[in-house]
Amino acid sequence: MLIFRSEEHIEKWCKAWRLPRGADLSVEQAWKLADSWYRDRLSPDWRRRTVDEAHELFRSLGLTSEFWRLA
Amino acid sequence: MPDDFKNRVRVRLYQMFLELGRCPNMAEIAGALQCGVSEVAAAFHELAAAHMIVLQEGNGEVLMANPLSAVPTPFVVETPADAGFRSWFGNCIWDALGVIAMLQRDGRVLTSCGCCGESMTVRVRKGEATANPPGVVHFAIPAKRWWDDIVFN
Repeated sequence: MLIFRSEEHIEKWCKAWRLPRGADLSVEQAWKLADSWYRDRLSPDWRRRTVDEAHELFRSLGLTSEFWRLA
Repeated sequence: MPDDFKNRVRVRLYQMFLELGRCPNMAEIAGALQCGVSEVAAAFHELAAAHMIVLQEGNGEVLMANPLSAVPTPFVVETPADAGFRSWFGNCIWDALGVIAMLQRDGRVLTSCGCCGESMTVRVRKGEATANPPGVVHFAIPAKRWWDDIVFN
């Protein structure tokens, strides 16, 4: 997952790597995703999310397209 | 292997990574937990099999304790400390922001545009993130394929 100066730069990068365009997030969206995903990682009680729990987390952030389906 | 021991290794790995500013090796964790290196190695393998960490090929040491990277990357995370900053490497922009989230404090990510290499800084302050210059985050790989090649991803 990379950050780019603009959508045009993403497009250039995708062409250079011969990859289809993935999913774009605003910096604020990416931060909220990182915060939700990693906030509790240092807890001794942390465990991996189930697929359903991960989907619920993505859904809560508005990430509902097929791109965000884990299974 | 008991889940309790595996979890003790996981927690100590993260604690030492943050304290040292670098990834501890198996011997250092074994010393801290007063157990054998082979026990830590076995725990690493089980944690990696469960996609909790990623190991280096060959030596079995940690490559990624997500969101932290054991090797230098273009995602330097800095948080204010008594004397300047503390810093670590994140695996990607998501993980770099994840280090700040995990620490639950303000911080910044020093990085660059994935296309042109222009320097970019993402600051997190009081729970809000801003990039300078402004930018867009791109996820190239669909979620169901993230672990197909976690290093590229």
